[in-house]
Amino acid sequence: MAKSSLRKKWHLRDGTCGAVFSSIQDHCYKNPAWLLSAMAPMIGLCLLIIFFIVPAWFQKPAWAQKEVTSRPYRYSERELASRSYERHEVKPRTYPVFVRGGIPQREAVTLSPIAEKVRRRKYLADSHWGLKFYERLACAKCHPRHARNLHYIRAKITCRQCHGPEPIAGLSHYYSKMSHRRRHAFVCAKCHEGANRSFASYVNHEPNPAALSTRQSFPLLFYVFWMMVAIAVGTFAAFLPHAFMWGLREFLPDNFWSRLKNRFAGRRKPDGRD
Amino acid sequence: MAGIKRFTPAQRIFHLLLMLSFLIQASTGMARLYFETNWGRFWVSFFGGYNQVLTIHWWVGLFMLALLVVHVLYVLIHVDWRRFPKSIYGPDSLLPRREDLGQALQHAGWILGLRKLPRFDRWGYWEKFDYLAVFWGITLLGITGVILYNPVFFSNYMPGWVLNVLLWVHRLEAVLAIVHVATIHFFIGHLRRHNFPMDLVMFEGSVELEKARHERPAWVERLEQNGNFHHTLVDNTSPALRVIYYVFGFSVIACFIYLLVSALANVGGLLG
Repeated sequence: MAKSSLRKKWHLRDGTCGAVFSSIQDHCYKNPAWLLSAMAPMIGLCLLIIFFIVPAWFQKPAWAQKEVTSRPYRYSERELASRSYERHEVKPRTYPVFVRGGIPQREAVTLSPIAEKVRRRKYLADSHWGLKFYERLACAKCHPRHARNLHYIRAKITCRQCHGPEPIAGLSHYYSKMSHRRRHAFVCAKCHEGANRSFASYVNHEPNPAALSTRQSFPLLFYVFWMMVAIAVGTFAAFLPHAFMWGLREFLPDNFWSRLKNRFAGRRKPDGRD
Repeated sequence: MAGIKRFTPAQRIFHLLLMLSFLIQASTGMARLYFETNWGRFWVSFFGGYNQVLTIHWWVGLFMLALLVVHVLYVLIHVDWRRFPKSIYGPDSLLPRREDLGQALQHAGWILGLRKLPRFDRWGYWEKFDYLAVFWGITLLGITGVILYNPVFFSNYMPGWVLNVLLWVHRLEAVLAIVHVATIHFFIGHLRRHNFPMDLVMFEGSVELEKARHERPAWVERLEQNGNFHHTLVDNTSPALRVIYYVFGFSVIACFIYLLVSALANVGGLLG
Protein backbone atom coordinates (compact mmCIF):
# COMPACT_ATOMS: atom_id res chain seq x y z
CA MET A 1 0.00 0.00 0.00
CA ALA A 2 1.41 3.37 -1.00
CA LYS A 3 0.66 6.49 0.90
CA SER A 4 0.69 10.05 -0.34
CA SER A 5 2.23 12.63 1.93
CA LEU A 6 -0.20 15.36 1.01
CA ARG A 7 -3.46 13.48 0.87
CA LYS A 8 -4.40 10.46 2.91
CA LYS A 9 -5.03 7.91 0.30
CA TRP A 10 -4.89 4.21 0.74
CA HIS A 11 -4.83 2.19 -2.35
CA LEU A 12 -5.54 -1.45 -1.99
CA ARG A 13 -3.86 -4.03 -4.12
CA ASP A 14 -6.88 -4.64 -6.19
CA GLY A 15 -6.95 -0.91 -7.07
CA THR A 16 -9.90 0.06 -4.89
CA CYS A 17 -9.94 2.71 -2.17
CA GLY A 18 -10.05 1.64 1.50
CA ALA A 19 -10.73 4.96 3.25
CA VAL A 20 -11.31 8.32 1.79
CA PHE A 21 -10.79 11.59 3.59
CA SER A 22 -10.36 13.65 0.53
CA SER A 23 -12.93 15.21 -1.69
CA ILE A 24 -10.92 14.20 -4.67
CA GLN A 25 -11.94 10.66 -5.45
CA ASP A 26 -10.97 10.29 -9.02
CA HIS A 27 -8.70 7.44 -8.13
CA CYS A 28 -11.57 5.47 -6.58
CA TYR A 29 -14.43 5.76 -9.08
CA LYS A 30 -14.49 6.29 -12.70
CA ASN A 31 -17.88 8.14 -12.52
CA PRO A 32 -18.35 10.03 -9.20
CA ALA A 33 -21.66 11.56 -10.36
CA TRP A 34 -23.19 8.09 -9.98
CA LEU A 35 -22.74 8.26 -6.21
CA LEU A 36 -24.45 11.62 -5.97
CA SER A 37 -27.29 10.57 -8.22
CA ALA A 38 -27.77 7.44 -6.07
CA MET A 39 -27.54 9.19 -2.72
CA ALA A 40 -29.75 12.20 -3.42
CA PRO A 41 -33.08 10.35 -3.71
CA MET A 42 -32.23 8.28 -0.67
CA ILE A 43 -31.42 11.36 1.35
CA GLY A 44 -34.58 12.98 0.08
CA LEU A 45 -36.57 9.89 1.00
CA CYS A 46 -35.07 9.89 4.48
CA LEU A 47 -35.89 13.56 4.93
CA LEU A 48 -39.41 12.91 3.73
CA ILE A 49 -39.81 10.08 6.20
CA ILE A 50 -38.27 11.98 9.07
CA PHE A 51 -40.05 15.27 8.61
CA PHE A 52 -43.36 14.39 6.98
CA ILE A 53 -44.40 10.74 7.06
CA VAL A 54 -43.32 9.90 10.63
CA PRO A 55 -44.92 13.00 12.14
CA ALA A 56 -47.98 12.44 10.03
CA TRP A 57 -48.15 8.86 11.20
CA PHE A 58 -47.87 9.62 14.88
CA GLN A 59 -49.57 12.97 14.92
CA LYS A 60 -52.84 13.47 13.14
CA PRO A 61 -53.65 16.93 11.86
CA ALA A 62 -55.57 19.22 14.16
CA TRP A 63 -59.31 18.77 14.00
CA ALA A 64 -59.71 22.15 12.39
CA GLN A 65 -57.28 21.15 9.60
CA LYS A 66 -58.85 17.86 8.69
CA GLU A 67 -61.31 19.38 6.35
CA VAL A 68 -58.64 20.83 4.10
CA THR A 69 -55.95 18.18 4.45
CA SER A 70 -57.86 15.36 2.84
CA ARG A 71 -60.87 15.93 0.69
CA PRO A 72 -61.81 12.24 0.34
CA TYR A 73 -61.42 11.84 4.09
CA ARG A 74 -63.53 14.90 4.74
CA TYR A 75 -66.25 13.78 2.39
CA SER A 76 -66.41 10.15 3.45
CA GLU A 77 -65.92 10.57 7.17
CA ARG A 78 -67.58 13.85 7.90
CA GLU A 79 -69.95 15.17 5.33
CA LEU A 80 -71.24 12.01 3.71
CA ALA A 81 -73.07 11.36 6.99
CA SER A 82 -75.25 14.35 6.29
CA ARG A 83 -76.75 12.43 3.34
CA SER A 84 -77.73 15.62 1.64
CA TYR A 85 -74.37 17.26 1.46
CA GLU A 86 -74.20 17.55 -2.29
CA ARG A 87 -77.33 19.60 -2.45
CA HIS A 88 -75.65 22.30 -0.46
CA GLU A 89 -72.04 21.87 -1.45
CA VAL A 90 -70.87 24.79 -3.53
CA LYS A 91 -67.45 26.18 -4.12
CA PRO A 92 -66.66 29.62 -2.86
CA ARG A 93 -67.20 32.09 -5.60
CA THR A 94 -64.26 33.71 -7.26
CA TYR A 95 -65.30 36.96 -5.68
CA PRO A 96 -67.14 37.36 -2.41
CA VAL A 97 -70.73 38.29 -2.76
CA PHE A 98 -71.15 40.32 0.38
CA VAL A 99 -67.55 40.82 1.46
CA ARG A 100 -64.98 42.41 -0.78
CA GLY A 101 -61.51 43.20 0.46
CA GLY A 102 -62.68 42.55 3.99
CA ILE A 103 -65.32 45.23 3.61
CA PRO A 104 -68.98 44.25 3.57
CA GLN A 105 -70.69 45.32 0.36
CA ARG A 106 -74.20 46.47 -0.14
CA GLU A 107 -76.64 43.89 -1.41
CA ALA A 108 -78.72 44.32 -4.51
CA VAL A 109 -81.91 44.19 -2.43
CA THR A 110 -82.00 46.91 0.15
CA LEU A 111 -83.02 45.69 3.59
CA SER A 112 -83.73 47.60 6.74
CA PRO A 113 -80.55 49.00 8.30
CA ILE A 114 -80.50 46.44 11.12
CA ALA A 115 -81.43 43.47 8.95
CA GLU A 116 -78.84 44.48 6.41
CA LYS A 117 -76.13 44.72 9.03
CA VAL A 118 -77.01 41.36 10.59
CA ARG A 119 -77.38 39.59 7.30
CA ARG A 120 -74.10 40.81 6.01
CA ARG A 121 -72.38 39.72 9.20
CA LYS A 122 -73.65 36.17 8.66
CA TYR A 123 -71.26 35.94 5.74
CA LEU A 124 -68.18 37.46 7.33
CA ALA A 125 -65.13 35.44 8.28
CA ASP A 126 -65.14 37.52 11.45
CA SER A 127 -68.72 38.15 12.27
CA HIS A 128 -67.78 40.69 14.93
CA TRP A 129 -65.53 42.60 12.58
CA GLY A 130 -65.46 46.32 13.21
CA LEU A 131 -67.41 46.30 16.47
CA LYS A 132 -66.20 48.96 18.83
CA PHE A 133 -64.74 47.82 22.16
CA TYR A 134 -65.44 44.24 21.15
CA GLU A 135 -62.63 42.84 23.27
CA ARG A 136 -64.29 44.24 26.38
CA LEU A 137 -67.73 42.83 25.70
CA ALA A 138 -69.16 39.55 26.98
CA CYS A 139 -71.28 37.47 24.60
CA ALA A 140 -74.44 37.87 26.70
CA LYS A 141 -74.07 41.65 26.58
CA CYS A 142 -75.25 41.71 22.97
CA HIS A 143 -76.94 38.28 22.87
CA PRO A 144 -78.81 38.16 26.20
CA ARG A 145 -81.54 35.79 25.04
CA HIS A 146 -78.99 33.36 23.60
CA ALA A 147 -77.48 32.89 27.05
CA ARG A 148 -80.66 31.11 28.12
CA ASN A 149 -80.27 27.70 26.56
CA LEU A 150 -80.20 24.18 27.92
CA HIS A 151 -76.53 23.64 27.07
CA TYR A 152 -75.46 26.53 29.24
CA ILE A 153 -78.03 26.11 32.01
CA ARG A 154 -77.79 22.34 32.38
CA ALA A 155 -74.25 21.46 31.27
CA LYS A 156 -72.50 24.80 31.84
CA ILE A 157 -71.18 24.75 28.29
CA THR A 158 -69.81 28.18 27.49
CA CYS A 159 -70.20 30.07 24.23
CA ARG A 160 -66.59 29.47 23.23
CA GLN A 161 -66.87 25.72 23.54
CA CYS A 162 -69.23 25.64 20.57
CA HIS A 163 -68.55 28.86 18.71
CA GLY A 164 -64.78 28.58 19.03
CA PRO A 165 -62.05 31.16 19.56
CA GLU A 166 -61.71 34.47 17.74
CA PRO A 167 -62.40 35.20 15.01
CA ILE A 168 -65.89 33.74 15.11
CA ALA A 169 -67.05 33.28 11.57
CA GLY A 170 -70.60 34.08 10.56
CA LEU A 171 -72.96 31.11 10.28
CA SER A 172 -73.17 31.41 6.54
CA HIS A 173 -69.49 31.84 5.93
CA TYR A 174 -68.21 29.01 3.78
CA TYR A 175 -65.47 27.89 6.13
CA SER A 176 -67.33 28.40 9.39
CA LYS A 177 -67.45 25.26 11.48
CA MET A 178 -70.87 26.37 12.67
CA SER A 179 -72.10 26.28 9.09
CA HIS A 180 -75.09 24.00 8.71
CA ARG A 181 -73.03 21.85 6.36
CA ARG A 182 -70.57 20.72 8.98
CA ARG A 183 -71.89 21.80 12.36
CA HIS A 184 -72.87 18.23 13.21
CA ALA A 185 -69.30 17.01 12.71
CA PHE A 186 -67.25 19.85 14.13
CA VAL A 187 -69.46 21.04 16.98
CA CYS A 188 -72.25 18.62 17.92
CA ALA A 189 -70.21 15.43 17.59
CA LYS A 190 -67.71 16.62 20.17
CA CYS A 191 -70.26 15.61 22.81
CA HIS A 192 -73.06 13.84 20.91
CA GLU A 193 -71.28 10.92 19.31
CA GLY A 194 -72.72 10.05 15.93
CA ALA A 195 -74.47 13.37 15.44
CA ASN A 196 -75.69 13.84 11.92
CA ARG A 197 -76.87 16.84 9.96
CA SER A 198 -80.47 16.30 10.98
CA PHE A 199 -79.48 16.30 14.64
CA ALA A 200 -77.62 19.56 14.16
CA SER A 201 -80.84 21.25 13.13
CA TYR A 202 -81.88 21.22 16.80
CA VAL A 203 -82.43 24.85 17.73
CA ASN A 204 -80.19 25.34 20.72
CA HIS A 205 -81.02 29.03 21.06
CA GLU A 206 -84.72 28.37 20.77
CA PRO A 207 -87.09 31.31 20.82
CA ASN A 208 -89.65 31.82 23.54
CA PRO A 209 -92.45 29.43 22.45
CA ALA A 210 -95.13 31.70 23.89
CA ALA A 211 -93.96 34.83 22.08
CA LEU A 212 -95.89 36.02 19.06
CA SER A 213 -92.66 36.48 17.12
CA THR A 214 -92.07 32.72 17.35
CA ARG A 215 -95.05 32.27 15.05
CA GLN A 216 -92.80 33.52 12.27
CA SER A 217 -89.47 32.05 13.30
CA PHE A 218 -90.58 28.62 14.60
CA PRO A 219 -94.29 28.17 13.78
CA LEU A 220 -94.58 24.50 14.80
CA LEU A 221 -93.17 25.22 18.25
CA PHE A 222 -95.51 28.17 18.65
CA TYR A 223 -98.68 26.30 17.64
CA VAL A 224 -97.88 23.09 19.52
CA PHE A 225 -97.03 25.05 22.67
CA TRP A 226 -100.31 26.94 22.62
CA MET A 227 -102.25 23.80 21.74
CA MET A 228 -100.85 22.05 24.82
CA VAL A 229 -101.56 25.12 26.94
CA ALA A 230 -105.12 25.17 25.60
CA ILE A 231 -105.59 21.50 26.54
CA ALA A 232 -104.30 22.17 30.06
CA VAL A 233 -106.32 25.34 30.53
CA GLY A 234 -109.44 23.65 29.14
CA THR A 235 -109.04 20.72 31.51
CA PHE A 236 -108.60 22.91 34.56
CA ALA A 237 -111.25 25.39 33.49
CA ALA A 238 -113.75 22.53 33.35
CA PHE A 239 -112.71 20.39 36.30
CA LEU A 240 -111.35 22.80 38.93
CA PRO A 241 -114.64 24.73 39.37
CA HIS A 242 -116.50 21.45 39.01
CA ALA A 243 -114.54 19.82 41.84
CA PHE A 244 -114.69 22.88 44.04
CA MET A 245 -118.43 23.37 43.58
CA TRP A 246 -119.02 19.66 44.10
CA GLY A 247 -117.11 19.83 47.37
CA LEU A 248 -119.20 22.77 48.52
CA ARG A 249 -122.44 21.13 47.44
CA GLU A 250 -121.81 18.06 49.55
CA PHE A 251 -121.85 20.20 52.66
CA LEU A 252 -125.41 21.19 51.87
CA PRO A 253 -128.35 18.89 52.59
CA ASP A 254 -130.04 17.28 49.60
CA ASN A 255 -133.15 19.39 50.01
CA PHE A 256 -131.22 22.63 50.48
CA TRP A 257 -132.18 24.22 47.18
CA SER A 258 -135.83 23.19 47.44
CA ARG A 259 -136.02 24.59 50.98
CA LEU A 260 -134.40 27.78 49.82
CA LYS A 261 -136.87 28.03 46.95
CA ASN A 262 -139.81 27.41 49.24
CA ARG A 263 -138.53 29.98 51.70
CA PHE A 264 -138.37 32.70 49.06
CA ALA A 265 -141.66 31.53 47.57
CA GLY A 266 -143.27 31.85 51.01
CA ARG A 267 -142.30 35.51 51.23
CA ARG A 268 -144.11 36.34 48.02
CA LYS A 269 -147.25 38.36 48.30
CA PRO A 270 -150.60 36.79 47.37
CA ASP A 271 -150.85 38.82 44.17
CA GLY A 272 -147.61 37.33 42.97
CA ARG A 273 -145.48 40.44 43.40
CA ASP A 274 -142.27 40.25 45.46
CA MET B 1 -120.58 -3.43 58.35
CA ALA B 2 -120.12 -5.32 55.11
CA GLY B 3 -118.37 -3.91 52.10
CA ILE B 4 -119.03 -4.40 48.43
CA LYS B 5 -116.14 -5.44 46.23
CA ARG B 6 -115.16 -2.85 43.66
CA PHE B 7 -111.58 -3.60 42.56
CA THR B 8 -109.73 -6.88 42.11
CA PRO B 9 -106.25 -7.38 43.66
CA ALA B 10 -104.68 -7.06 40.19
CA GLN B 11 -106.38 -3.70 39.65
CA ARG B 12 -105.22 -2.49 43.06
CA ILE B 13 -101.65 -3.52 42.29
CA PHE B 14 -101.85 -1.69 38.97
CA HIS B 15 -102.94 1.45 40.79
CA LEU B 16 -100.25 1.06 43.45
CA LEU B 17 -97.46 0.65 40.90
CA LEU B 18 -98.80 3.50 38.83
CA MET B 19 -98.99 5.72 41.90
CA LEU B 20 -95.41 5.02 43.00
CA SER B 21 -93.88 5.23 39.54
CA PHE B 22 -95.75 8.45 38.80
CA LEU B 23 -94.54 9.96 42.07
CA ILE B 24 -90.92 9.12 41.17
CA GLN B 25 -91.35 10.47 37.65
CA ALA B 26 -92.93 13.66 38.93
CA SER B 27 -90.14 14.17 41.49
CA THR B 28 -87.27 13.52 39.10
CA GLY B 29 -88.92 15.47 36.30
CA MET B 30 -89.51 18.46 38.57
CA ALA B 31 -85.89 18.26 39.72
CA ARG B 32 -84.70 18.53 36.13
CA LEU B 33 -87.21 21.19 35.15
CA TYR B 34 -86.35 23.39 38.15
CA PHE B 35 -82.60 22.84 37.96
CA GLU B 36 -82.05 26.59 37.58
CA THR B 37 -83.56 27.25 41.00
CA ASN B 38 -82.19 26.47 44.45
CA TRP B 39 -85.07 24.12 45.14
CA GLY B 40 -84.39 22.27 41.89
CA ARG B 41 -80.70 21.86 42.73
CA PHE B 42 -81.59 20.61 46.20
CA TRP B 43 -84.02 18.14 44.69
CA VAL B 44 -81.41 17.01 42.16
CA SER B 45 -78.85 16.44 44.90
CA PHE B 46 -81.47 14.47 46.82
CA PHE B 47 -81.53 11.95 43.97
CA GLY B 48 -77.74 11.84 43.66
CA GLY B 49 -76.97 14.37 40.96
CA TYR B 50 -78.16 15.58 37.61
CA ASN B 51 -77.17 12.51 35.63
CA GLN B 52 -78.54 10.20 38.28
CA VAL B 53 -81.89 11.97 38.09
CA LEU B 54 -82.02 11.38 34.37
CA THR B 55 -81.12 7.72 34.79
CA ILE B 56 -83.90 7.19 37.34
CA HIS B 57 -86.34 9.10 35.14
CA TRP B 58 -85.45 6.92 32.15
CA TRP B 59 -85.76 3.54 33.84
CA VAL B 60 -88.92 4.36 35.77
CA GLY B 61 -90.36 5.78 32.56
CA LEU B 62 -89.66 2.50 30.80
CA PHE B 63 -91.31 0.72 33.71
CA MET B 64 -94.44 2.86 33.26
CA LEU B 65 -94.53 2.07 29.55
CA ALA B 66 -94.22 -1.63 30.37
CA LEU B 67 -96.98 -1.23 32.94
CA LEU B 68 -99.21 0.30 30.28
CA VAL B 69 -98.54 -2.60 27.91
CA VAL B 70 -99.24 -5.15 30.63
CA HIS B 71 -102.45 -3.35 31.56
CA VAL B 72 -103.63 -3.30 27.95
CA LEU B 73 -103.00 -7.06 27.78
CA TYR B 74 -104.89 -7.46 31.06
CA VAL B 75 -107.83 -5.53 29.64
CA LEU B 76 -107.81 -7.52 26.39
CA ILE B 77 -107.81 -10.78 28.35
CA HIS B 78 -110.74 -9.68 30.49
CA VAL B 79 -112.92 -8.46 27.65
CA ASP B 80 -115.94 -10.68 27.11
CA TRP B 81 -115.17 -11.48 23.46
CA ARG B 82 -118.29 -13.68 23.07
CA ARG B 83 -120.51 -10.65 23.54
CA PHE B 84 -118.17 -8.26 21.76
CA PRO B 85 -118.71 -5.36 21.00
CA LYS B 86 -121.74 -5.10 23.30
CA SER B 87 -119.66 -6.06 26.31
CA ILE B 88 -117.32 -3.08 26.09
CA TYR B 89 -120.23 -0.65 26.03
CA GLY B 90 -121.91 -2.15 29.10
CA PRO B 91 -122.20 -0.47 32.51
CA ASP B 92 -119.12 -2.29 33.81
CA SER B 93 -116.95 -0.92 31.02
CA LEU B 94 -114.72 2.12 31.50
CA LEU B 95 -115.30 3.29 27.94
CA PRO B 96 -117.40 6.45 27.75
CA ARG B 97 -121.09 6.03 26.94
CA ARG B 98 -123.85 8.39 25.88
CA GLU B 99 -125.29 8.17 29.38
CA ASP B 100 -122.08 9.63 30.79
CA LEU B 101 -122.60 12.94 29.00
CA GLY B 102 -126.17 13.13 30.29
CA GLN B 103 -125.03 12.25 33.81
CA ALA B 104 -122.28 14.87 33.71
CA LEU B 105 -124.78 17.56 32.75
CA GLN B 106 -127.27 16.32 35.35
CA HIS B 107 -124.54 16.28 37.98
CA ALA B 108 -123.60 19.86 37.14
CA GLY B 109 -127.28 20.73 37.45
CA TRP B 110 -127.40 19.03 40.86
CA ILE B 111 -124.39 21.04 42.01
CA LEU B 112 -126.21 24.23 41.01
CA GLY B 113 -129.44 23.08 42.62
CA LEU B 114 -131.32 22.74 39.36
CA ARG B 115 -131.71 18.97 39.06
CA LYS B 116 -131.70 15.78 41.10
CA LEU B 117 -128.54 13.80 41.83
CA PRO B 118 -127.97 11.34 38.95
CA ARG B 119 -128.10 7.63 39.72
CA PHE B 120 -124.52 6.60 38.96
CA ASP B 121 -123.62 3.06 38.02
CA ARG B 122 -120.29 1.39 38.74
CA TRP B 123 -118.17 4.14 37.14
CA GLY B 124 -118.79 7.86 37.23
CA TYR B 125 -117.92 10.07 34.27
CA TRP B 126 -115.03 11.69 36.24
CA GLU B 127 -113.55 8.26 36.96
CA LYS B 128 -113.67 7.30 33.29
CA PHE B 129 -111.94 10.58 32.44
CA ASP B 130 -109.17 9.90 34.96
CA TYR B 131 -108.69 6.35 33.74
CA LEU B 132 -108.53 7.21 30.05
CA ALA B 133 -106.34 10.27 30.70
CA VAL B 134 -103.65 7.93 32.03
CA PHE B 135 -103.58 6.11 28.68
CA TRP B 136 -103.19 9.38 26.84
CA GLY B 137 -100.62 10.71 29.30
CA ILE B 138 -98.34 7.68 29.48
CA THR B 139 -98.44 7.24 25.72
CA LEU B 140 -97.58 10.87 24.99
CA LEU B 141 -95.01 11.22 27.77
CA GLY B 142 -93.50 7.82 26.99
CA ILE B 143 -93.05 8.39 23.28
CA THR B 144 -91.64 11.89 23.68
CA GLY B 145 -89.47 10.76 26.58
CA VAL B 146 -87.91 7.87 24.67
CA ILE B 147 -87.16 10.15 21.73
CA LEU B 148 -85.67 12.87 23.93
CA TYR B 149 -83.47 10.34 25.73
CA ASN B 150 -82.03 9.10 22.39
CA PRO B 151 -81.93 12.26 20.29
CA VAL B 152 -79.06 11.25 18.03
CA PHE B 153 -80.66 7.97 17.03
CA PHE B 154 -84.11 9.39 16.42
CA SER B 155 -82.78 12.36 14.46
CA ASN B 156 -82.05 9.82 11.72
CA TYR B 157 -85.79 9.56 11.22
CA MET B 158 -86.93 13.11 11.84
CA PRO B 159 -85.50 16.63 11.77
CA GLY B 160 -83.55 17.66 14.84
CA TRP B 161 -85.71 20.73 15.42
CA VAL B 162 -88.64 18.43 16.24
CA LEU B 163 -86.77 17.74 19.50
CA ASN B 164 -87.45 21.33 20.52
CA VAL B 165 -91.17 20.77 20.01
CA LEU B 166 -91.21 17.38 21.75
CA LEU B 167 -89.45 18.76 24.81
CA TRP B 168 -92.22 21.31 25.31
CA VAL B 169 -94.91 18.69 24.70
CA HIS B 170 -93.25 16.48 27.32
CA ARG B 171 -93.01 19.32 29.83
CA LEU B 172 -96.52 20.67 29.43
CA GLU B 173 -98.16 17.25 29.46
CA ALA B 174 -96.22 16.32 32.59
CA VAL B 175 -97.21 19.55 34.34
CA LEU B 176 -100.82 18.97 33.33
CA ALA B 177 -100.75 15.44 34.75
CA ILE B 178 -99.07 16.42 38.03
CA VAL B 179 -101.36 19.38 38.68
CA HIS B 180 -104.44 17.37 37.76
CA VAL B 181 -103.54 14.56 40.13
CA ALA B 182 -102.48 16.86 42.97
CA THR B 183 -105.61 19.00 42.79
CA ILE B 184 -108.64 17.50 41.05
CA HIS B 185 -107.95 13.79 41.56
CA PHE B 186 -107.05 14.20 45.23
CA PHE B 187 -109.89 16.60 45.95
CA ILE B 188 -112.59 14.40 44.45
CA GLY B 189 -111.07 11.25 45.84
CA HIS B 190 -110.23 12.35 49.35
CA LEU B 191 -111.33 15.83 50.33
CA ARG B 192 -115.02 15.61 49.52
CA ARG B 193 -117.28 15.33 52.54
CA HIS B 194 -118.30 11.77 51.73
CA ASN B 195 -114.72 10.58 51.27
CA PHE B 196 -112.89 12.70 53.84
CA PRO B 197 -110.18 12.19 55.00
CA MET B 198 -109.33 9.49 52.48
CA ASP B 199 -111.14 7.11 50.17
CA LEU B 200 -109.50 3.75 50.84
CA VAL B 201 -111.33 1.89 48.10
CA MET B 202 -108.18 1.62 45.97
CA PHE B 203 -106.28 0.03 48.87
CA GLU B 204 -109.02 -2.12 50.36
CA GLY B 205 -110.69 -3.00 47.09
CA SER B 206 -114.14 -2.62 48.59
CA VAL B 207 -116.51 0.19 49.49
CA GLU B 208 -118.98 0.32 52.35
CA LEU B 209 -122.43 -0.87 51.34
CA GLU B 210 -124.31 2.17 52.62
CA LYS B 211 -121.88 4.49 50.88
CA ALA B 212 -122.26 2.55 47.64
CA ARG B 213 -126.05 2.71 47.90
CA HIS B 214 -125.83 6.47 48.26
CA GLU B 215 -123.21 7.21 45.60
CA ARG B 216 -123.87 4.44 43.05
CA PRO B 217 -127.45 3.29 43.52
CA ALA B 218 -127.83 2.05 39.95
CA TRP B 219 -124.84 -0.29 40.39
CA VAL B 220 -126.09 -1.80 43.68
CA GLU B 221 -129.61 -2.28 42.28
CA ARG B 222 -128.21 -3.94 39.18
CA LEU B 223 -126.20 -6.35 41.30
CA GLU B 224 -129.24 -7.13 43.45
CA GLN B 225 -131.43 -7.77 40.40
CA ASN B 226 -128.81 -10.02 38.77
CA GLY B 227 -128.61 -12.19 41.87
CA ASN B 228 -124.84 -11.65 42.18
CA PHE B 229 -125.10 -9.35 45.13
CA HIS B 230 -124.03 -11.81 47.82
CA HIS B 231 -120.97 -12.79 45.74
CA THR B 232 -119.73 -9.21 45.84
CA LEU B 233 -120.00 -8.73 49.59
CA VAL B 234 -116.72 -8.88 51.50
CA ASP B 235 -115.66 -8.39 55.09
CA ASN B 236 -114.26 -5.16 56.31
CA THR B 237 -110.51 -4.64 56.42
CA SER B 238 -108.76 -5.04 59.76
CA PRO B 239 -108.02 -1.81 61.68
CA ALA B 240 -104.25 -2.41 61.57
CA LEU B 241 -104.32 -2.67 57.81
CA ARG B 242 -106.43 0.46 57.56
CA VAL B 243 -103.84 2.36 59.60
CA ILE B 244 -101.13 1.26 57.20
CA TYR B 245 -103.29 2.33 54.26
CA TYR B 246 -103.89 5.72 55.84
CA VAL B 247 -100.22 6.34 56.61
CA PHE B 248 -99.13 5.28 53.15
CA GLY B 249 -101.87 7.21 51.38
CA PHE B 250 -101.28 10.40 53.33
CA SER B 251 -97.54 10.13 52.68
CA VAL B 252 -98.09 9.97 48.94
CA ILE B 253 -100.53 12.86 49.06
CA ALA B 254 -98.08 14.89 51.15
CA CYS B 255 -95.32 14.25 48.59
CA PHE B 256 -97.50 15.47 45.73
CA ILE B 257 -98.67 18.53 47.64
CA TYR B 258 -95.03 19.32 48.50
CA LEU B 259 -94.09 19.04 44.83
CA LEU B 260 -96.97 21.22 43.73
CA VAL B 261 -96.46 23.94 46.33
CA SER B 262 -92.68 24.03 45.81
CA ALA B 263 -93.11 24.18 42.05
CA LEU B 264 -95.55 27.08 42.35
CA ALA B 265 -93.31 28.87 44.84
CA ASN B 266 -90.26 28.58 42.56
CA VAL B 267 -91.92 29.27 39.24
CA GLY B 268 -90.49 32.81 39.34
CA GLY B 269 -86.94 31.46 39.30
CA LEU B 270 -87.84 29.18 36.44
CA LEU B 271 -89.09 31.99 34.23
CA GLY B 272 -86.04 34.07 35.11
